[in-house]
Amino acid sequence: MPIIEVNNRGVHIQELNKGAAETVLLVHGMFSNLSIYYFNIAPILAKHFHVVMYDLKSHGLSERIENGYDLNSMTDDLVNLLDSLGIDKVHLAGYSFGGLIALKMAARFPRKIKKLAVIEAPDPNDDKTRDIIDDYSREFLEHYVTNFTDTTKVKMGKRQMERNHRMYEYLFHETSIKSDMILEKEFFSAAEISDIQQDTLLLYGANSNCLGAGKKLKNKIRGAALLEVNGDHNIPIQEPVSIGNIMETFFNNG
Amino acid sequence: MDAVVSTAKLNSNEIFDLMKQFITEVIGEEFVEEMDITMESSFTKDLEMDSIEIVSFSEKIKAHFGEQIDFTGWLSNMDLDQLINLNLGTIVNYIEECQ
Repeated sequence: MPIIEVNNRGVHIQELNKGAAETVLLVHGMFSNLSIYYFNIAPILAKHFHVVMYDLKSHGLSERIENGYDLNSMTDDLVNLLDSLGIDKVHLAGYSFGGLIALKMAARFPRKIKKLAVIEAPDPNDDKTRDIIDDYSREFLEHYVTNFTDTTKVKMGKRQMERNHRMYEYLFHETSIKSDMILEKEFFSAAEISDIQQDTLLLYGANSNCLGAGKKLKNKIRGAALLEVNGDHNIPIQEPVSIGNIMETFFNNG
Repeated sequence: MDAVVSTAKLNSNEIFDLMKQFITEVIGEEFVEEMDITMESSFTKDLEMDSIEIVSFSEKIKAHFGEQIDFTGWLSNMDLDQLINLNLGTIVNYIEECQ
């Protein structure tokens, strides 16, 4: 499993189809990890693209870090990752919190981003997502229940419960993740969002409570296309093949 | 990192032992000791492996068998129910057929 050193920190990455001319970089959401792309979406994109996935700090198999969960720090991490991989420019896609990171990347480092796909990025200032950490935890648990329990809803086993509990305990109580996220409340109102120039595709679940955020972004980003996919906030799990195919077409055209 | 090893064709028992070794490396010996790993063991229910652990397990298969086995490609054709119910025996059979 490739753990690479980026700024003296261990970052878990996975790459597919290394020889391809163009790269697609995929950013996962909070309390999740790169596996959300690994099994379905990444292999579809890898038919044409070099695909890079990585685990955000303290997520998946990447090293635990106590601070730097604001969008500036998260995008600094991403730029450092690109530099250490020797990649100049990528198509970028991010899901949920990863979608916020992708938007921030396009705003801060426009020359590094070709096209931008934003999947289910929530508005940090939305009433429904105001208590952002609680929302993200629910999202994670829903993800877990959808993925790892069978139709009889077998309870999480002891080892997984302990693993998850340890991750929550760490992120909630030993990192700055909560306070860093609260600082991002006004992100969608910032001028930098309206200044995004890249071709932008917004992918949202037709039944998602984040769909309003997608509409808001469509109004702010010039020429952005909003596509509604069957499902709710968990569309990468519910419709991975659709998401993969839609992104492949989007990144391939033009 | 595991090197790509060009191996002679393995029989199903040998593949099963290798898979057990990979699982042990991924989830840790202390957990494996408490488990009875068989061909019927399912990854999510019996072995309690989560998705990032299955990623690590897949990477070990790739590293060991190289291009002769497209394990991720095979998994990507499964729907959620198939993935949840995936057991060790199915994987052993797949690898045996691919060799």
